[in-house]
Amino acid sequence: MRIIIFSWEYPPRIVGRLAYYVSELATKLANSGLKMHVVTYHDSLIGDFEEASGVKVHRVTNPVKTHINLLTWTITLNQEIERITANIYYRENGQIDLIDVHEWQFIPAAVTIKRAFEIPFIYSIESIEDHRSGGANNPMNIAIKSIEQLGVLEADIIIVKSEWMKNEVKTIYGVSTGKIKVANLEERNGLKAILDVYRSLKGEGTQK
Amino acid sequence: MKPSPRIMMFTWEFPPRIIGGISPHVYNLSKELAENGAEVYVITCDFPGAPAHEKVDDVEVFRVDSYKNPAPDFASWVYLMNMNMQKEAASIIRDLGGVDILHAHDWLVAAATIGLKHVFRKPLIATIHSTEVGRRGGIYSDYERMIHETEAWLTYEAWRLICCSNYMLIHVREFFNLPADKMVMIPNGVNTGEYDMYLKENLREFRNKFASSEEKIVLFVGRLVYEKGAQVLIRAAPKILEKVNARIIIVGNGYMKEQLLALAESMGVAHKVTFTGFLDEESLKKLQVCADVAVVPSLYEPFGIVALEAMAAKSPVVVSDTGGLSEIVEHDVTGVKIRPNDPESLAWGVTRILLDNGYADWIRENAYRKVKEAYNWSRIAQQTKEIYIKVLEEYSRTFWA
Repeated sequence: MRIIIFSWEYPPRIVGRLAYYVSELATKLANSGLKMHVVTYHDSLIGDFEEASGVKVHRVTNPVKTHINLLTWTITLNQEIERITANIYYRENGQIDLIDVHEWQFIPAAVTIKRAFEIPFIYSIESIEDHRSGGANNPMNIAIKSIEQLGVLEADIIIVKSEWMKNEVKTIYGVSTGKIKVANLEERNGLKAILDVYRSLKGEGTQK
Repeated sequence: MKPSPRIMMFTWEFPPRIIGGISPHVYNLSKELAENGAEVYVITCDFPGAPAHEKVDDVEVFRVDSYKNPAPDFASWVYLMNMNMQKEAASIIRDLGGVDILHAHDWLVAAATIGLKHVFRKPLIATIHSTEVGRRGGIYSDYERMIHETEAWLTYEAWRLICCSNYMLIHVREFFNLPADKMVMIPNGVNTGEYDMYLKENLREFRNKFASSEEKIVLFVGRLVYEKGAQVLIRAAPKILEKVNARIIIVGNGYMKEQLLALAESMGVAHKVTFTGFLDEESLKKLQVCADVAVVPSLYEPFGIVALEAMAAKSPVVVSDTGGLSEIVEHDVTGVKIRPNDPESLAWGVTRILLDNGYADWIRENAYRKVKEAYNWSRIAQQTKEIYIKVLEEYSRTFWA
């Protein structure tokens, strides 16, 4: 399987815990024999490509430097995410099995790529705007929430880390629980659970 | 090179959604391109009552839901709209089995088209209708700088840039440091046929709704924003009214409306100035035909389509000697040029036409002939198609092809 992970943070760019989580996930998946690409952002010149522990990391910067808010920043950056992903897609002759998008930032790119190339995507949710902003009730938070809503709607599968979050996503976004899987790398058999989701999406079924 | 290239146009406005000049531009260009043997698809924003998908004069139009996402401000709305536009376009392109050229109109669709260019690996052509530097008279805030940088990004990513006047071409080239061979000037156009029917019609009854038969009509059409200069016309009103019994009609809406009303009041000319707000297309065209003089007092005007429309409506024009207007109008031949932002000069130009019928008729006929020859859409579409073909030839020699 060839997988691309989208994450807006990845070491050495560390905003929160997501960077560590995603790098551990990518490394473990690579060790399990998957061909792993990570597409991420970095704002300083640390190189646009790096291969470490079997993971190919592609980094882009924002083509528009000045921004008025996180939303505009995110959308222009998404075009670069699409460019790099398309480059991988063409180089690999279209052999990409799925995209695993962590958090909402690169949902727009995942949706476009899915529609253009018919590559399924997983939306991996760590947190949601309702919780982060205490109810998403100003235009900015509503706009971010609407991107999450788009992700929930367009994703083939949603991965959350707990039964509690599964219930929250189901209630807040009105999505059927059948589409939401609970899998957490930090828990027992977490890697296997994630691999099972990947395989189910690829149609390989669950491996014993 | 295929006999009929498949062109996908991106525009934030397309009839019936009309905000500025891009809407009629894309409408006419698309229509004529389709008639000249191109397959044309238009991706645009939705509009109440307009279908999500329809065929208009052989052009396939797709209207994308763009108001679903609330946004904190206009620019944020634009970027969110780009996200929605892009995802719909990605599906449409896939369903079509691909397109040959992506054609963007202004920064308003930059993000959507740049992403699609790389995803589908097709050449992107951009028409730059105006720039943030020009609209604002400089860059003074992060908001404006963001838009300016987005424009720069679009000019960087585009294979070719089209500007509608030499003035605009030089301006874009200098502000974004672009190589000359990346740029091409193709003028804007106007469809004289759309006015010919009204020129033959007896419009007296229609005219009476706006002005008495003793009043000459001085017409302004445009968004009521600073750079369009309606305030200059109102300041000139007392000087015009000193010499001619006239009715000044201001068509359009914009953030300056209240200010302009107050200005007319304080100049003591409110009783002679009519604000019509936004007019439907038929009424607007009829009014342009009825006008005794059309004034385009812009402080910044990349092209000046409203001057061409007046010329097609056989209304003599008075224009600021600036930007694209300077190129369209030849002083004393196809119109009268005045000093920008100068009410005195404007009043002089207007009264010169209103007080001399022979002169007005001379200007009228010359202007009409000029518009028909140089600014007809069929010719413009032909020039545009030549650019498409040239770009596709260049593209065919790259590894993307």
